[in-house]
Amino acid sequence: MAVRTIDVRERVMARNDELAAAVRRRLSDHRVACFNLVSSPGSGKTTLLERTLEDLGTELRIAIVTGDVQTQNDADRLAAHTNRLVQAVMTGGACHLDARQVQTALDAVDLAATDLLFIENVGNLVCPANWDLGETAKIVLFSVTEGEDKPAKYPKMFQQSRYAVFTKVDLLPHVLFDIERAEAIAREVHDGLTFFRTSAHSGEGLDDWYALLKRQVRDAHTR
Amino acid sequence: MHEMSLALEVCAIAERHVPREQVANIVEVGLEVGDGAGVEADSLEFWLETLLTSPPFKAARPVIARVAGDVLRVSYLEVDDGRPHD
Repeated sequence: MAVRTIDVRERVMARNDELAAAVRRRLSDHRVACFNLVSSPGSGKTTLLERTLEDLGTELRIAIVTGDVQTQNDADRLAAHTNRLVQAVMTGGACHLDARQVQTALDAVDLAATDLLFIENVGNLVCPANWDLGETAKIVLFSVTEGEDKPAKYPKMFQQSRYAVFTKVDLLPHVLFDIERAEAIAREVHDGLTFFRTSAHSGEGLDDWYALLKRQVRDAHTR
Repeated sequence: MHEMSLALEVCAIAERHVPREQVANIVEVGLEVGDGAGVEADSLEFWLETLLTSPPFKAARPVIARVAGDVLRVSYLEVDDGRPHD
């Protein structure tokens, strides 16, 4: 028997990264800023987006791609707050969105009439960290009803994210969550993180959040 | 589930590196998995053992080398051509 060895040396993520690069080029050609929202389930991604659409939806042309394992409930919720298309991707069991799904979803989005694209990833603090979707930046949401040590438990997600958004801060008086400690733990895994403290319910901290979005849109337009 | 997706990608890479009629002749798939790759190597191995013994593969086995860093790549394939050495 003759066994021969074929030298491969190919990164497992290579194909996804090629597609992500194509998505990034496509968004850049249309001067669209794009954020990939990642978090554990229930941290408030959809609620923050609902409020953002309500408050910024007339000033900025916002498109959304949502990813869920099953149902398009999030897309339906968001569609109630905008006349623009909210594109739902059902991953059918997969625990994250990949660049191919985003590439396909973008075919339905009028990028020429879009300033800002949100990708609401599948709620999961592990897998989405590994998949580049062609976004401008990942934003990790971190609700004050979770444990302060989430960044230590799931470091890669916090390392891969440029911004960390605390959500539900209106609940701080009612929960045993030390936000300063949570921030310190997050800084230990990624010193360069920029933090926002928000409540989509009370509106607290949303001005800073909106200022970031507007700045990113401006940057995308002038690149 | 994450490891299953990665295992499917490993299979796709293996299939791209040999002619279609030789996929069933692959006997070994070598991988490097970094300790910072965010991958559970045991789970990846489990899925690969399943997939690499199902069509179009036949009886390939995964060989995972644990390495430092965040590398995750297919390093080599071994293919049994079924012919004696020249």
